[in-house]
Amino acid sequence: MTVELSTLLLQFQPESEDLKSRQKFDQAAKAFVKQLDNVSAPHWSKGANTPQDVLEILNPTVNSIAYAFALRHRISVAVDKKSTDAIQPGGALWNKLVLFLETFDPVQMRYAGQEYKKLVDYVETLARNAGSPGLAIAPIRSAMIRLDPTTGTFTSTHLDFVRLCLETQSYAAAQPILDNYIHSLPSQIPAAVREGSEYSVVAADVARSGEFIHKNSGHSDKVTFVDVQEYYVLGAMAYLGLRQFKKAQQFLEHVLVMPSANVANGLMLEAYKKWVLLNCLVSDEPKAVPRSANATAIKQVRGASKAYEAVADAYGHLHNMSKLKAQINAGAQTWAEDGNTGLVKAVLDSQMRAYVSRLSKTFSAIPVSNIARNVGGSADETTQYLETLIKEGHLNARLEQTNKPETGIVLRFYLDPTQGPLAKTEKQQQQALFEQTLRTNALADQVRDADYRLTLTKEFIENLKRQQKRQGPSGDAMDTAWDDGVEEEDIMTHSHQHEAVVDRPHKKQKTGDDGTELSVEVK
Amino acid sequence: MASSIEQSAFFQQRIAKGALVVKDPPKFDLESYIANYAGHTRMDRLHHIGSHSPYLALDAYRLAIAEAKKGKNVNLYLQLAEELGIIAPQDPAALTDTTWAEKKAQETQREQDRLEHELKSYKNNLIKESIRMGNEDLGHFFYDIGDYSNSHKSYMKMRESCTSNKHLADMTLRLVYVSVAQKSWLAVQSNLAKVDAAQLKGEDKSKLEPIVSACTGLAHMCIGNFKEAATNFLGTLPAFLTAEPAAGITWQKEVISGNDVAVYGGLCALASMDRSELQAKMLGNSEFRNFLELEPHIRQAINLFCNSKYSACLDVLEGYRSDYLLDVYLSKVLSTIYGRIRTKSIVQYFIPFSCVTLDEMSSKFPVSGNVTIEEELEHMINDKTLEARIDLVDRLLISPPTNPRHDVHADALKMAETYDHTLRLRLTRLNMQAAGMEIKAEKGSNEKMGVGESLRGLGSKMGFS
Repeated sequence: MTVELSTLLLQFQPESEDLKSRQKFDQAAKAFVKQLDNVSAPHWSKGANTPQDVLEILNPTVNSIAYAFALRHRISVAVDKKSTDAIQPGGALWNKLVLFLETFDPVQMRYAGQEYKKLVDYVETLARNAGSPGLAIAPIRSAMIRLDPTTGTFTSTHLDFVRLCLETQSYAAAQPILDNYIHSLPSQIPAAVREGSEYSVVAADVARSGEFIHKNSGHSDKVTFVDVQEYYVLGAMAYLGLRQFKKAQQFLEHVLVMPSANVANGLMLEAYKKWVLLNCLVSDEPKAVPRSANATAIKQVRGASKAYEAVADAYGHLHNMSKLKAQINAGAQTWAEDGNTGLVKAVLDSQMRAYVSRLSKTFSAIPVSNIARNVGGSADETTQYLETLIKEGHLNARLEQTNKPETGIVLRFYLDPTQGPLAKTEKQQQQALFEQTLRTNALADQVRDADYRLTLTKEFIENLKRQQKRQGPSGDAMDTAWDDGVEEEDIMTHSHQHEAVVDRPHKKQKTGDDGTELSVEVK
Repeated sequence: MASSIEQSAFFQQRIAKGALVVKDPPKFDLESYIANYAGHTRMDRLHHIGSHSPYLALDAYRLAIAEAKKGKNVNLYLQLAEELGIIAPQDPAALTDTTWAEKKAQETQREQDRLEHELKSYKNNLIKESIRMGNEDLGHFFYDIGDYSNSHKSYMKMRESCTSNKHLADMTLRLVYVSVAQKSWLAVQSNLAKVDAAQLKGEDKSKLEPIVSACTGLAHMCIGNFKEAATNFLGTLPAFLTAEPAAGITWQKEVISGNDVAVYGGLCALASMDRSELQAKMLGNSEFRNFLELEPHIRQAINLFCNSKYSACLDVLEGYRSDYLLDVYLSKVLSTIYGRIRTKSIVQYFIPFSCVTLDEMSSKFPVSGNVTIEEELEHMINDKTLEARIDLVDRLLISPPTNPRHDVHADALKMAETYDHTLRLRLTRLNMQAAGMEIKAEKGSNEKMGVGESLRGLGSKMGFS
């Protein structure tokens, strides 16, 4: 039986000549996954820990599908038996698991979504059982990146991963994933589209992650609205941990613009509160809520975050700094309840910075003693503070000693943007522009992709409409009239006309998959 | 004498209330100044001067009281006499002539009854022209006794019985006149727009044009739109000076004189236009020259400004500050206008320099009050009216170096980032919509709504609504 299993497992050789065509590869891989699904659990454990062990025979990179199945079954047995030695971090199976997640063949794993998901989940469970969840972060991250280098299709793993990172306070570890923009959500791709032409097979080199990670692929649990929201809020908090306020704010804006039936929920409120505070930290001028946000929902969260808006308002009064302090002291309990005490403190700290940076717009040089008098501190303290500001790159200025004793140390701002510690050379600027161009182009691709998915959805809706129409009172007696009805509809909705035309040739193919279409053809 | 008047309870009260009191003696001569005016504005101006300038208070009040006794406005007379009584109790004019007041009050009451009765009989006869005239008479009457809101109402009632465009235009001009007296400038503007839109042709129209533009300028100035005000004053034709009475009103005497047009127009232009505009629209405007000749110092100030002699220009204007503060329309907006002119002078003065010492600035533009030149400049820079930086160490005002190439690059990058982010936000939203994700109202509240709705439905079914 062992022999049988190993031969079965080796049946699928992705490198072989027969499978050079992507379409053939696609079919073979699908068949293979189906076959492995049918192998009963006990078979997998035979020959464990012998030279005949399938995990030794198989190469995780070449035979990724087979290896994934084998590994999953073995771990599940080990977990059931509570043989902790092998599966705890550092044990044999753990090492194999980590090695697999770091080296698997991404194209093959597109087919074995369920196995992928289970293995990734095991990493976390095992690490947790061993009492050190932090160990799971690196393997999960490399698995995510390996499967989808853009990590731009949202999966439940994303959320689990960010939760784990926050729990272990390893914010920097989360950043590589957070920095990637979520450009797709797992969607329902109509079967007719999935089976279709040579170029849209899952294994295709050009496939985007939104195409192979979808609702039925098994790579992700069902993703709900709250999951996406939570991901963005947690992500923003991770950025806060890294003190990357701008990115954190941008993350929160994603939560604010989410579609809403004129109501807000708790996460949105949470996001708005943090967003208001971040506004102070990120930019000098107050920023408006993104326009695409739902106005009624924003009004609701606004009403519930008056204390925060008061703080933001007080922050703007740079000539009256004690006001902010008073506001913050007054709301101490609110901040503590919302878990925003740290952020509020950061706002308070940065007000002085805002004050100095506004000075740079009015003065070219100002004695430090003047500043100290205005903010109510000693000259030495102020000098020290200014020094740190300059060092941290918040201020394009220098401190200099004058020969006039009554003026003392002077803060001199650089008026020309090409001078001073924060100056950017033209080359640097060009580089930045170039990088932005790349980002924009990538985004344009993602937009095109989303556009494509949207067209699919339109068709789907149209399909649905037709079905409902058919189930109407006229029933099957009006068979011929049904076609006419479609024509009429097409004329009415001009914009969809071409889609309907495209739709026709598919009909014959669809019959196999789409039960409803089948019934039409039978009629 | 003047000082004792200044010490009088009336002016002390005004100072305590923070109201304006012009302590310096004005340059003009009251007799000849007021001779330019007639009607309501004469009274109004005398009253304004009397209550603002201790120097002219006695003369102005005496003139005003004598004037008021000729008219029908009993309330105004009583008020004037009372105020003079506080300023100079021993003055003969301060003794309120109660017998006259009572007699006059009865007389006006009788006249009002008569006019209202007449109007009623006209209405019974249904003769449109008579009704119109009846309303007009009533309007005039209310205007004379100082009841402007009723006057406005009466004039408004004329509209229904106006039969020609001329009548309509006259009525609207009357409304303008009343609104000016009420100082409700928005009403003035809307009525002037109606005059403009009235379908008058040829001579009638050209006769009204200067009046309309002068009054529009006045209204704009009083609500602080100096740019529009300047444009309108500058567009006023010299025909205004000699215009015949329109709608029974001699506009250049009873509302705004030619001198006023010159002063108001000049100041508004100085406050709102830059040098080249002033040169082209003001000095190069042969029509407006007629007005400027009436007020040579305004012309001089504009000339100085155009020749970049800003401090001399400000000096000239400063010399006339107390005169203008005694002008009934200017006094409220004068400090704003002067402030604008000063700020503009500083900005214009600084343009050709890359660096000026602060001492030089303060000698060129001596500051008034307790603000230092640094504070004033700081304020202007924070307002973004002056593009400069202050060096407090070497006491310099520095024009910051510009680097357009760097700025363009920085702007481009910033814009790209903003667009990028906006697009990402939209895409997120779109993706979620496509996936059918949406924040929905909580189940619980939905059900409550449902119950409420069904109950409401029940109510309407049962015939309640």
